[in-house]
Amino acid sequence: MGVTKEQVESSLTSNLKPSHLEVIDTSGGCGASFVIEIVSEQFEGKRLLERHRIVNAALEEEMKQIHALSIKKALTPEQWKQQQEAEKSKPDA
Amino acid sequence: MARLLSSNAVLKAIATVPAALSSRNVIGSFYPSGLKYSTSVPGDPDTHEDFRPTNKVQGSDVSLKDVVEQDVKENPVMIYMKGVPDFPQCGFSSLAVRVLKHYNVPLSARNILEDPELKSAVKAFSHWPTFPQIFIKGEFIGGSDLILNMHQNGELKEKLKDIVGSPKLE
Repeated sequence: MGVTKEQVESSLTSNLKPSHLEVIDTSGGCGASFVIEIVSEQFEGKRLLERHRIVNAALEEEMKQIHALSIKKALTPEQWKQQQEAEKSKPDA
Repeated sequence: MARLLSSNAVLKAIATVPAALSSRNVIGSFYPSGLKYSTSVPGDPDTHEDFRPTNKVQGSDVSLKDVVEQDVKENPVMIYMKGVPDFPQCGFSSLAVRVLKHYNVPLSARNILEDPELKSAVKAFSHWPTFPQIFIKGEFIGGSDLILNMHQNGELKEKLKDIVGSPKLE
């Protein structure tokens, strides 16, 4: 029952070859709720809606058991770099 | 009773936010083909079985797809959610409603918890696995992550600005 963080990570890794990936299980153990941050070249030139669709598609099997999937970040490597630098320049943000 | 509920939940589930002032009555504006024989009191439990609306005749998937199509066409802001706007039954649905209420636009909603078939129909329509789902002027916007993102970057304001019936009172 449920999906593990590792399953979500491995599906996303094999489908989207992310350069950064963070999966947080927010279900408290039952494996039905996750928060995701993902950086992948496959998002290049895609609107956020399409990026979410790509993530949803990569997790098609898992989604049958996941009730809540929050995609906090779906960025291209370029955008990710910019964000990291912006955060560095104002550390209290 | 359970049977009644499933055939009429679609009509009952629609809710309009009173706070949005303009009282849009979506209920009377159409009948999906499967329900065309129902009259003004579709939920009347005293009606004899023979006279109740049926949607078994044709595939209910077909008529529910029509319902969704009509919904998003006729309602400038349509949300399929868990619960109703005044009582959301899920944190994500609640978040989406709170964001949309910022803009004082008429908000039309259906509660997918009341109708599993409608839920499947909406998912199939948008090819989107989770709820809430928001449509603005017929366009699929996404779920709570996306609506929040568009709220933060100003896109939502742009999308909603020409929707009529949004008197600014505040």
